[in-house]
Amino acid sequence: MNRQALHPLLTPLARKAESGEVDRREFLRIAALLGCHVALPAAASAQAPLAGDTAQTRLPFPPDDPAAKSGGILRVAMPVQKMHDPATYAWAEMSNQTRHIIEYLTITGPDNITRPMLAERWQASGDLRTWTFHLRRNIRWHNGDVFTARDVAWNIRRWLDSRLGSSNIALSTFSAMLEEVPAGRKTGNKRARPAKRIAANAIEIIDAYTIRLNLTRPVLSVPEDFYAYPTAILHPSFKPPFWKNPVGTGPFALKQLAVASKCILQRARDVSGTPLPYWGGKVYLDEIHYYHYDQDNQLAALATGEVDAIYAFNAEQMEFAKSIDGVISSAPTGRTLCCRMRLDRKPFDNKKLRQALALATDAEAIRTLVFPNGGIRGENHHVAPLHPEYFPLPKQQRDAAAARRLLREAGYPNGLTLTISVGNTDGPWQQAICEALRDQWKEAGIQLNISLVPASKYWNIWKQATFGATAWLHRPLGTMSLSLAYRAASPWNETRFDDPQFERLLNDAEAVADPRRRKLKMEAVEKRLQDAAIMIQPVWRPEYTMTSRRVRGYNAHPSQYHQFNKVWLA
Amino acid sequence: MIRLILSRLGQMLLMMAAVSLILFAVFDTEKYRKRIAVAELGGLAVSALSQSDYDAWLDKKGLNAPLHTRYVNWIAGLTRGDFGYSIEKDTAVGPLVGAHLARTGLLALFTLALVIPLALLLGVLAGMREASRTDRTISTIAIVTTSIPEIAIAIFLTALFALGLGWLPAKSAMHGGFEMSKLVLPVLTLVIFDFGYITRITRASMAQVMGAEYIRTAVLKGLPQSRIIVRHALRNALIAPFTIIVLQINWLISGLIVIETFFQYGGIGKLLVEAARFGDVQVIQAITLLAVAAAVLSQLISDIGYAWLNPRMRSGAPA
Repeated sequence: MNRQALHPLLTPLARKAESGEVDRREFLRIAALLGCHVALPAAASAQAPLAGDTAQTRLPFPPDDPAAKSGGILRVAMPVQKMHDPATYAWAEMSNQTRHIIEYLTITGPDNITRPMLAERWQASGDLRTWTFHLRRNIRWHNGDVFTARDVAWNIRRWLDSRLGSSNIALSTFSAMLEEVPAGRKTGNKRARPAKRIAANAIEIIDAYTIRLNLTRPVLSVPEDFYAYPTAILHPSFKPPFWKNPVGTGPFALKQLAVASKCILQRARDVSGTPLPYWGGKVYLDEIHYYHYDQDNQLAALATGEVDAIYAFNAEQMEFAKSIDGVISSAPTGRTLCCRMRLDRKPFDNKKLRQALALATDAEAIRTLVFPNGGIRGENHHVAPLHPEYFPLPKQQRDAAAARRLLREAGYPNGLTLTISVGNTDGPWQQAICEALRDQWKEAGIQLNISLVPASKYWNIWKQATFGATAWLHRPLGTMSLSLAYRAASPWNETRFDDPQFERLLNDAEAVADPRRRKLKMEAVEKRLQDAAIMIQPVWRPEYTMTSRRVRGYNAHPSQYHQFNKVWLA
Repeated sequence: MIRLILSRLGQMLLMMAAVSLILFAVFDTEKYRKRIAVAELGGLAVSALSQSDYDAWLDKKGLNAPLHTRYVNWIAGLTRGDFGYSIEKDTAVGPLVGAHLARTGLLALFTLALVIPLALLLGVLAGMREASRTDRTISTIAIVTTSIPEIAIAIFLTALFALGLGWLPAKSAMHGGFEMSKLVLPVLTLVIFDFGYITRITRASMAQVMGAEYIRTAVLKGLPQSRIIVRHALRNALIAPFTIIVLQINWLISGLIVIETFFQYGGIGKLLVEAARFGDVQVIQAITLLAVAAAVLSQLISDIGYAWLNPRMRSGAPA
């Protein structure tokens, strides 16, 4: 085994893996989570290799398929959006259009593990305040410039300029590189939000290929944050709009963009028309064509051969998908619906009432009803089984009689009527969950009214609604969602949950780099949130996508990100 | 006639001014500005912006100026042929709306080219002999097709011809340039949905004319039926259908939201839906003005045609 640059936490584990004491797949998973590329001899285990666990051990992509053929155009149905400034992208679709032109420091695979990409490896200090990224040395921009740490620093500084309006500034990693300055100017009677600026020494260029980030507080999710969709690394000559000057490090270049119609990518070439050498090894496709189709229309386009692959389809389209001759690909995700309550408003300031709602809910029955072909049962604590730090708590069982008793104790002997606002922002499955809750809660004496809000309007009221069903996107670590949604000071704390003990426990967990130890810490975090019963979160939705049979290597991704480096056409 | 035309054009300009002012006022709220910011930057980015940075962003997008300033600037732009800028599509509104209007115009053209002869023929055939078997058959078909929502017709045709038989593409997005085969299903849907209505109007008008005394006189004089219909009945019978047909232009220009969205056809209707979802106000403004112009102009054409077909109107006699 190559122990060069092996993380200190890995050394004892590596010995156990070689001797067979520790499962090989688990070892590779932990190594990847710690930012290390390692290879074990295949003889060490009979298990199938993981992505990256082959001769291509230094590359973050799946191994080459010996049967793979080069050439061809992959046609994908997806909403085609503008490509203005990758740092201010607001939709994953935008990032997919540029994902094969400009690349990221890290990459989170369909298996939800984050690996080094433009970086070769990373190291974190014991207190998780200092992160050092070692960059690959063989990467060039399309214009011939060498990719260096200065380029990365330029991008981070740009994201941290509060005038840019990039959401990156709100990610844990980058917000931990800022310090507050006196409050900004007030508008009307609104409270001024404080302005921030980059902290001194936050970014250190060690050498041409090494960059160090000095954070003002411990952050666990640094590698994951570097694969958030607006964190693609741009060439320092960049001036928006991107489509006018699309210089990247990726295997493809932009050929044509027509918003709401098509986005055509072709292999990046030099002035003589020869494909540029790509640091990431073989790439099979000649071109990628994105054709604009709303999600409701993508399957029909696939069925009649107008495209080879689609972006996504919803559970209610599953029967139609099954009727099409093609390959359905699904992935477990951290995408969910939180039927969350405002704890600062009646009646949800009453904990017994909230716990009664949880007791009256049968999450497994809802999962079976709404996602009969997949999905994972939720546990009312917003950490999913695919998150590396997930700790399995005992499953909550429905007990309508006990729920009724709790309601009595809460001061509602005759039951009560509640109204939940739902916007179906991620599809009608959200309304289906609310309808299932309505049916289940009847037995406990709770009448649930459903207030259907247009999807575009829901995001205007999501933090204001007393009882609202909010869709949360996938995040590679459970702690990322918890920090965003349940810390008292977070702008996205829609429940107004304010529990110092919870935050202490979460801080403890977030300060542990070793995923196995962190998992143990998460037991108390999950339990604390589950006991507080601030949300009913019955299911983790699966991600569905589909291709024709000629497309190979196209996998559903929990964040709907496209990774086509090893996709080929039969 | 010239007075009529000038009066209608004046009405159109007044209506455009009123509608555009109302739209500006409707979208001149803090909530709308926030919505644009969230759509453009994402909720997380907006929640992380300081107040001064948020204000600076609004200034950059021209959203922070007072309503009257923005309105005057917009009107000034219109006089130069500048309809503004689409925040969602990152392009100038004029060429964007123009390209979509051309596609919708093409759809309307093919639809009308089929609907008009079909509906007039069937309407005349049905109205020639009221209560005959031909009349009952045509009327039943016309009532049935008109009563089925266009979305249901679209789904049925797609299931049959695209997904079932595989003869036609299911969707009509012309990514590789114009393809006639992709226009077939939306045109067919619109023809099926629309022809029945015009057929029924034509039939009623024809039946009324065939019962008129001058037709009875022509029959008693022994004129051949073909001559009676072509020379005497048809011109009068076409007055009502003509008005209806011209008003269909208005519907075909600004009312094809469902069909264009279902078939992913890049016309004005689909563009309006996308702009409304995003809150792309300058695109909404331009399409609204276009819809007002289409409504007023189609009415004007209808009035002119009505006067041309009806001699009493031309001579100023009471109709």
